[in-house]
Amino acid sequence: MIRIPCPHCGPRNSDEFSYIGEEKRRPGPDTSPTEWRTYLYSKSNPAGWTTEQWFHAAGCGKFIVAERHTVTNEVRATRPKPRFERSNAGAEAGGGSS
Amino acid sequence: MPTSTRRGNGSVAEPVARSPIAPAGPTGTRGAWEVSSAHSKAALRLADMTALSKVLVRGAPGEVAPLLCEHLRARREDGSLIVGTGPDSWLVLAPTGRSDAVSEMIASRLRGCTSLVTVIDVTHGSVVLRLSGESARRALEKVCAIDLSDRATPNGSSFRSRVAAVVSTVVRDDVDGDPSYLIVSDRSSGQFLFDALADAGQEFGIGLTGYPEQEI
Repeated sequence: MIRIPCPHCGPRNSDEFSYIGEEKRRPGPDTSPTEWRTYLYSKSNPAGWTTEQWFHAAGCGKFIVAERHTVTNEVRATRPKPRFERSNAGAEAGGGSS
Repeated sequence: MPTSTRRGNGSVAEPVARSPIAPAGPTGTRGAWEVSSAHSKAALRLADMTALSKVLVRGAPGEVAPLLCEHLRARREDGSLIVGTGPDSWLVLAPTGRSDAVSEMIASRLRGCTSLVTVIDVTHGSVVLRLSGESARRALEKVCAIDLSDRATPNGSSFRSRVAAVVSTVVRDDVDGDPSYLIVSDRSSGQFLFDALADAGQEFGIGLTGYPEQEI
């Protein structure tokens, strides 16, 4: 069992969440096809700490960002997913929900 | 023979609205709803409260929460119960037939908000169950993974999680000092959720009771 501390609801079992994938910045509209392909299909998949997105489907219904250790499944930090996050649009823009 | 046809068609008989949950025992009407008029004196009771008016509110947390209710909390006001169901969503439960009045009251209160606010009557889209009695917590714990202790879930708190695998909003809303939980979920899951709670409560001698005089 993985316990994920939802920033909105508190600690919950991971079966309330849908795993979305590694946290990445969505490329801007002028990005090359190669960079789009990397964004869509390449995963870093480290054996260690990774930052990823989860969707709290059976709770607040919000996307969150979690830092999880892929070997121990420890989750050390979570935060609400900012609303807009593009590589060319201000790093930490947006509010607390998506 | 009562029908479910829309009101205002002349010869249509009352009631016009029904819960998706088969009524326990004899039925009566409350407003436009067919409700169970059973009465149980069991220590643990389960009631179908679907006839309550339900209004969903969505809006920016910073603007709406101070005017309605904080997330994970529930607050009584003028005979209605305002529940913070999410960081940017609220549910208002009120006596049957009051959804228009409640919608107007909420809309007028939030009129000063600068961001988009949505007020929707969801009365016919969800079910409300009330599980009350001394062993309500122990029965609910069998089908819900959330810590229901007084420390974590005191009276006046709410949360959204799975109850018997059905995504539901749970409100701790004690009645006259008796532990009580309101459970709100989608209409299509109503009968299953009712049966699952009745099954969980069997070992505590659960009784199926009707729609109460004191609605909310």
